[in-house]
Amino acid sequence: MYNIRNLSRRGFLNLSAAAGTSLLLPQGLIKPARAAEPLPAIAEEEAVIGFGHVGPITDEGWTWAHHQGLLAVKEAYPKLANILEVENVPYSADATRTYRQFVSEGANMIFDTSSTGDFLHQVVKRAPEVAFMECNGHLGMDNLGWYYLAHWYPTYVIGVAAGYLSKTGKLGYVASFPVASVYASTNAFLMGARTVNPEATLQTIVINSWFDPQAATQAGTALIDNGCDFLFGIMDEAGYLQVAEKRGVWAAMWNTDIRRYGPNSYVSSVIIDFKDFYVDQVGKRLAGTWTPGEYLFPMGGGVDRDTWGQNVPKEVGKAADEVRQKIVDGWSPFVGELKDKDGKVRVEEGQKMTEMELYNWDWSVDGVTGLEG
Amino acid sequence: MKETENRFVPPAGAAPIIQLQGVAKYFPGVVANEDVDLEVMPGEIHALLGENGAGKSTLMNILTGIYQADAGEIIIDGYQRTFATPLQAIGAGIGMVHQHFKLVQAFTVAENIHLGWSDTPRRASAAVLEGRTAELAEKFNLQVRPGAVVSDLSTGEQQRVEILRVLARQARLLILDEPTAVLTPAEARELFLALREFVSGGNAVIFISHKLDEVMEISDRISILRGGRKIATKQTAECDPHMLANLMVGREIVLADMRTRAPGAAPVSREPVLVLDKVSVVDGGGGRLLDEVSLELRAGEILGIAGVAGNGQRELSQVLTGVRRASSGQVVVGGETLNGANAADFAALGIGHIPEDRLNSGLAPAMSITVNAVMREYARPPVSSGGGYNPRAAQLLAVDIARAADVAIPDFGMPVRNLSGGNQQRLVARREMRIADKVLVAAYPSRGLDVGAINTMLRYIVELRDAGAGVVLISEELEELLNLSDRIAVFYEGRIMGIVQNDNPDIEEIGLLMGGRKKKKAAA
Amino acid sequence: MQLGSLRLQRLPSAHPGIAFAARAAAILIALLVAGVGVAISGMNPFELGGRVISASFGSSFGIEDLCVLVIPLILTGLAVAVGQQIGIWNIGAEGQFYAGAFAASAVGLFVPGPQWMVLILMFGAGFVGGMVWILVPTLARAYANVNELITTLLLNFVATLLVYYVSTGPWRDRSGMANSATPPLSAEVPSFWGIVHWGFPIAIGLAILVAAALAYSRWGYEVRLVGSNPSAARYVGIPVRKHLITVMLLSGGIAGLAGMLEIAGTVHRLQGGISNSFGYLGIMVAVLARGSPIGVIFSGALMAFILNSGIILQTQGLTTSVVLAITGFILFLTAIGDELSYYRVTRERA
Repeated sequence: MYNIRNLSRRGFLNLSAAAGTSLLLPQGLIKPARAAEPLPAIAEEEAVIGFGHVGPITDEGWTWAHHQGLLAVKEAYPKLANILEVENVPYSADATRTYRQFVSEGANMIFDTSSTGDFLHQVVKRAPEVAFMECNGHLGMDNLGWYYLAHWYPTYVIGVAAGYLSKTGKLGYVASFPVASVYASTNAFLMGARTVNPEATLQTIVINSWFDPQAATQAGTALIDNGCDFLFGIMDEAGYLQVAEKRGVWAAMWNTDIRRYGPNSYVSSVIIDFKDFYVDQVGKRLAGTWTPGEYLFPMGGGVDRDTWGQNVPKEVGKAADEVRQKIVDGWSPFVGELKDKDGKVRVEEGQKMTEMELYNWDWSVDGVTGLEG
Repeated sequence: MKETENRFVPPAGAAPIIQLQGVAKYFPGVVANEDVDLEVMPGEIHALLGENGAGKSTLMNILTGIYQADAGEIIIDGYQRTFATPLQAIGAGIGMVHQHFKLVQAFTVAENIHLGWSDTPRRASAAVLEGRTAELAEKFNLQVRPGAVVSDLSTGEQQRVEILRVLARQARLLILDEPTAVLTPAEARELFLALREFVSGGNAVIFISHKLDEVMEISDRISILRGGRKIATKQTAECDPHMLANLMVGREIVLADMRTRAPGAAPVSREPVLVLDKVSVVDGGGGRLLDEVSLELRAGEILGIAGVAGNGQRELSQVLTGVRRASSGQVVVGGETLNGANAADFAALGIGHIPEDRLNSGLAPAMSITVNAVMREYARPPVSSGGGYNPRAAQLLAVDIARAADVAIPDFGMPVRNLSGGNQQRLVARREMRIADKVLVAAYPSRGLDVGAINTMLRYIVELRDAGAGVVLISEELEELLNLSDRIAVFYEGRIMGIVQNDNPDIEEIGLLMGGRKKKKAAA
Repeated sequence: MQLGSLRLQRLPSAHPGIAFAARAAAILIALLVAGVGVAISGMNPFELGGRVISASFGSSFGIEDLCVLVIPLILTGLAVAVGQQIGIWNIGAEGQFYAGAFAASAVGLFVPGPQWMVLILMFGAGFVGGMVWILVPTLARAYANVNELITTLLLNFVATLLVYYVSTGPWRDRSGMANSATPPLSAEVPSFWGIVHWGFPIAIGLAILVAAALAYSRWGYEVRLVGSNPSAARYVGIPVRKHLITVMLLSGGIAGLAGMLEIAGTVHRLQGGISNSFGYLGIMVAVLARGSPIGVIFSGALMAFILNSGIILQTQGLTTSVVLAITGFILFLTAIGDELSYYRVTRERA
């Protein structure tokens, strides 16, 4: 469960990702590996792979998606000596203990699917013979890389749809914490909507949790009471979708297709897929070719929007999908001039934000309220 | 006291209501009862007399099914019975009223009467229960207020509820454990009347006490227990207090005037050691618990404080020992005014204090005997030096105090609550006497003690007086005050009604003063 | 002899040997039941047990982990135990832990100066932070007799939210290296063996110091007396209120120190999840230690071992809920064992 302690990362993914091209460079490589010597090859029969998750694999969301990746690894390499998997790794010194224990159990490669930061890095430093990959990490070392998803692109696409669907122009957002992925998510969402309705605004409520159905439900209700008729957010459950369904407003979600909790209100989801990535990384580690890379999965390569909801008018879906195609073809919507909520110019006219800038976004664009800074 | 012709004779041909034969009960290392025979006849009030620890409670616990006897027989109406549980004993008509009531404070009288009783109607409104209670009260001639909440009742009323509760369950034998300890004299008289009436119908009462006078007054026969064995059963009419006391403790006791000084005793000082000057204590609601009390205590004298409990005695002892500050007026010790002082300052000046409720305020029951014994001297050498506390020195001091108190202690680390009441009191008394160079304030020092322990306690007080300390003795036993005090101050509603010289006291006058009235001649 | 002749008798104090045996039995029974459960789910309990032992004690890794984990457990346990000495239940160690971490972080983030000086200031700030957090409950208790259970508990939520707020808001790391934490603090408690930092000897030393102060000082004597029977303390003239205030502040300060050491020695950044419920676990540690400051060292170690075993078992594929259930079961049976050690069975002669 995402209780209040598991403040951490979130994710995305891939729908129609490129057909298993593990021979090619995986999509989204930001920095090709550090100049490190690859770790030596290991026989599949002797290899141990570890996964540490922020929540339970039954969450129908973030952790479930990573678990699908683990299953894909198991299928691709059926002779692996062992796959270790621990759920509910807290964002505290317990994370260090968990990953240290993985090392003691002989793990050769460890995926931290919830970005435990320093807690993981302490172990990384002391286990140079083990390959580490941190989801939504930021630090590279000789045996540590990171990976994440460029979720701001599908979010922008969903924002475009919201621009069409919202009558009031008031959008609502149920946020976990004021962290980079939430800034990127809220900003991209409103920027998409404003291409259709320049007057649109986004009101955010922070509930200090990734998983708290009750708080999310209350936040959703409050947003609707304030006049919002389209809800979005980063939550790992369907709380505010059910509110939207009951109150007859639109809602878009995250992680997986959970339209069954609110079929009439469901617009789309930012959906995520780690299967190909994990299979590729494990393959390299076994083959002795793994070096630590830094990856951001592009739209269509691990993260995408879900197929549109049953009540979304065809033309709205079509208009949004046209934007999606432009992005897939290399266009970026994140180009200056961009002002923050205080009216200060943060991105100069004509300047295109880099992927790393988007990844580390920590200010709100004009029109987004409710997040600090 | 009874006339000789009031000798108790059971109804002709009547069988005993209950008969114990050769009852014994052993606890690890202790013989609680052994070889006890006891017969209680219909129509009889049978007193059970014995010191603390003589085996009275164990014997009654066997009779009421709380314990099972290790040997011997219980015979009821000619049949041998064993009670595995208290319920079986109640079924056999044996009911007990304990010293500490087992009432639910938040319930009404009627609810308490009906609690856990098979005769209670399944569904009954408060009115029905109260009606039934009123009927029962009528039947047994015990006045209770069925609708009143127990916590609002006086102790005497609560006791009536307890008794009614037992009688309602058709008890034929009522056992009362120290029933008068919690009663005022008037309440005690009412109780005695009710008991008389109860036995007149062919029932019986076992009356546990260590107060000789009341045993003489109420009982028909008296059985004396000592060391777990029955020493004797006697017709009350053939007894006198002196003889009972001897039987009880197995040695001679002098219940005598203790006012005469031993040769070499310190004389009564001219200057007072302690003065109260118009001291008042006002409670939160503005009530005057002490009302302009002025007193002088001289070294080498015993000042008795008489009065019905609750007339300011508690506050007096607190003010005298610094536990409580006076709202107005002055407390002067050895010429020094102590208005801002606390209990520790008073103690440092040589004022000892045997408190009214020793277990709850004079001791920390869960802590070791050592910790309790050094309570007054932990802050001075040898127990502490600088800020340190030396447990070894503390234990040596505790050993000294225990020896002076003549209490045998196997383990000074054990909680003080494991000691008997008498031993606790002796320890407290000795502890306080060590620091009481100037004054000892002793509040009800003999309360809850048996005759032997009382005698020891009073001897301590006399000893201290002879050593030159002033003693304030607060007591509800007039006889005790008369035996010890040089002067007696009578309290009524927080005021001193009068101070009586104890050379040829007018008991009637003291009685009137206690009741808040002055004798005509005093008024004149 | 039929069963009916057996009776239970409660003793005023438990024999230490029996108490120890009851505790050992409780742990054995819990392990037995857990073992059967594990076996039913298709795993080999002996192999699993062996792994727990070897992972905990078989390598310096495991022992280092235990040593680090035991620091906050001893300190929060000590905080609760100190309160118990004077009859106070400090349910707010969690909040004081956060408050201490918060105050120490403020120093570590914003006070410039040499490492050693910042570190000393952080120690002070951690302790004072914890004291400040218990100040209102303390005064409420001392002057208005407001029950500290509720007041200290409620402040836990305030402290937790405060730390979440600053670590994801105003103080958050804007370097992009950590999303929900502050930047690294400028000073840290140095390690002396692997990852084990000086918080370890400090925690044990503090527990011994407190125990010694209670047993060998006048202050300790007075505090114990107040805790055991306030009216007796008043009767002797001990300033009950003053001691109550001092001890509650000390309790809060120790819990604050636990928070400071966790961020300055173990985590190095302030973030919402720093306390793995250490404040609440401290209550259990203190209860298992029966309120004894020295006992806290051992029950803290036992708790660290149990928590660490939980992590090890999880890597073996047991789910969190099973591990939690086993952990809870051990504590539950230990509590029962403790209570039972007060009883003895006697045989009634018919």
